Amino acid sequence: MKKIIALLLALVMVLGLAACGGTETTETTEAAAGTEAAAGTEAAAGTEAAAAANYDGVELTMWSMWSSGEPQATVIEEAAAAFGEATGATVNVEFKGRELNQILTASLEAGEKIDIFEDDQSRISQVYVDYTADLTEMAEAAGYVGYPALNDRVVELAGYLNSIVEQPQVGGIFYDKDAFAAAGIESEPTTWAEFLEVCQQLKDAGIAPLALDTAYTNFTFYYHLVRHLGEDGVKELALNGGWSDSEGAVAAAQEIADLVSAGYLVEGAPDEYPSSQNKIGMGQAAMIVLANYVTAEVNSTMGVEINWGLFNYPAVDGGADNTCIYGGANSLAVSSYSENQQAAFDFIMFLTTGEWDQKMADTAAQIPADPSNVCNSLPGAIETLSAGENLMSWCDSINANPDLMSSFKTLTAELYEGKITTGADFCAAMDALY
Amino acid sequence: MKKNKTMIFLFILPTILTLLITYVYPVIRTVVMSFFKVESLTSTTADWSFYGLSNYGKVLTSTTFLTSMQNMLLIWIVGGIITLALSMLMAVVLTSGIRGAKFFRAAIYMPNIISAVALATMWIQYIFNYDYGLLNNLVTALGLERVKWLGTDAKFWAMMGAFIFGSVGYYMLIFISGIEGIPADLYEAATLDGATKVDQFSKITLPLMKGIIKTTITFWSINATTFFLWSKMFSPIDTEASTIVPVIYLYDMVFGGKGVSVRDAGAGAAVGVLLTLIIIAIYAVMNLLLKDSDLEY
Repeated sequence: MKKIIALLLALVMVLGLAACGGTETTETTEAAAGTEAAAGTEAAAGTEAAAAANYDGVELTMWSMWSSGEPQATVIEEAAAAFGEATGATVNVEFKGRELNQILTASLEAGEKIDIFEDDQSRISQVYVDYTADLTEMAEAAGYVGYPALNDRVVELAGYLNSIVEQPQVGGIFYDKDAFAAAGIESEPTTWAEFLEVCQQLKDAGIAPLALDTAYTNFTFYYHLVRHLGEDGVKELALNGGWSDSEGAVAAAQEIADLVSAGYLVEGAPDEYPSSQNKIGMGQAAMIVLANYVTAEVNSTMGVEINWGLFNYPAVDGGADNTCIYGGANSLAVSSYSENQQAAFDFIMFLTTGEWDQKMADTAAQIPADPSNVCNSLPGAIETLSAGENLMSWCDSINANPDLMSSFKTLTAELYEGKITTGADFCAAMDALY
Repeated sequence: MKKNKTMIFLFILPTILTLLITYVYPVIRTVVMSFFKVESLTSTTADWSFYGLSNYGKVLTSTTFLTSMQNMLLIWIVGGIITLALSMLMAVVLTSGIRGAKFFRAAIYMPNIISAVALATMWIQYIFNYDYGLLNNLVTALGLERVKWLGTDAKFWAMMGAFIFGSVGYYMLIFISGIEGIPADLYEAATLDGATKVDQFSKITLPLMKGIIKTTITFWSINATTFFLWSKMFSPIDTEASTIVPVIYLYDMVFGGKGVSVRDAGAGAAVGVLLTLIIIAIYAVMNLLLKDSDLEY
């Protein structure tokens, strides 16, 4: 009897341990064919081809970087249900949240059941490239165009088209058009000298020209540095040093030091995110160097509807790259081992083109992935991104030397704080890191 | 009583298996990985290439790693002294029979039951806020200029202050449990002999608390070496040198981040091994310096 009790106890312990592990904690939405949730019927099928296919019995698993309840997640859920209704496929969407990139590599390496996954385009092109399907032929067959510059960069980095843009981003200087009008500014500046004049006009009108949070000092200065040196030039410095010997680097830092000493930053800047950018919503500042999501963030945080405008970062004298514009994206990829790559691709098309894309753009206040749609949150953004032939990355050239990232960020913060007062000092501080 | 070895084995088997799979295997893999060039944390050993001590060389000559170590040491030493001293002071005061001891005990411990993320957000967005923060309201009320509490000069100390605020209650409770374990008659006898409160603290409380102090220093050392969340909260989006600590350095190296596609799991493993060695060294030194009390009470 004692033995039986002992064996039972041991069994309970083992089962208890087994129960502790393996439970999926992420929220899963099963959007099976015919689900009532397909009620998101207001938005019809994105592409006719995708909607016309018959995928009865096909089950797709998508790992999303959004969290359940976010606007993007809601649209994806509805689109998955609608796709199921139109094609017979079942799309299981697992919302993993922003930390998805911590588990994605391991999961792909382990061959976990993932047909579609979502992440930063640059990471998909470089980090997960060994586990992504080549979408080139499927994209051609579907007549996919998207934003050529973004797609070209994917091909350049990955060797083939391994992702489709879902949430494109465009960067530059975002400004409050009403503040410009109040200061009597009639045209957007195109050169650094014109930009400084605009700053002075705004200052004279009692509006601080530029908002800046510490979280983005590296990106803001990176933009200026790339104007002087180009991304290749910045990468060369990042990897090998020699900042003090680079006239462009010294000039870039000096110009920023002069901008700060002229008092063109809003009081408190660089501040802790999102304090400074919110000052545009309060009418205290007029401009910020960032990507398009700042417009939605400020509007929603401050409960205002700013009359946003966007212009490209000004050209500098003797600059190596005076035209590039920041462009990036969260994109969708199909795993190389997916058994239903065509169905997965069709769902991606369904989500990123036509009415579902328009719905995503309107719901999440973002730029449509389909350039034939309308960007209601930031008029002109589609045209800017479509025309951009020369795209700049999000600090990729600096980050090519990961050891430099955190110090670069702190030094740029010191530059914008006015603690570093000359370009030579900034460059000497950078050189000291090698 | 006859021992049934099979049954004993069956009972301990789940524990042994769990220990081997979830602890011993990852530790061995991490140590081995630190001697190899490995890009992805979960790549198969076929993708590893022997790298000797190069990972350690890379890490130990990295300015960023050295900055992170410096920050960690400051947290450990300065933060440790302040936290443990404050905790001890409050524990002594709250066990001295003052009125409202239960209320203060609960109030001081409260930050520990609030999510650290919420706590950090409160400090960053309200207390340290430049425009309407609590501290700057106090400063301006005194007629002084507002301070950039989260500027590059002050950010580390602001982070440490917030962390200490959230930690004191935990260590205070440990000290209180230690003090309450000391028989009251020792203090009564000392009082009758004319010992002051300070004498009682230095001659009775401290010597009898040696074991507890050793435990708290060990706990604090582990907290300091695994410091992560507060640094992440105080430098959102990208890591900043002013708040970087070794675990963040390790994390960035292994997982990359926004705009970062370079990963080095081998160097990350080397950082992990170095941190473990540091904790072992601290523990060994502690054992040498603070022998367990041979007093009985």
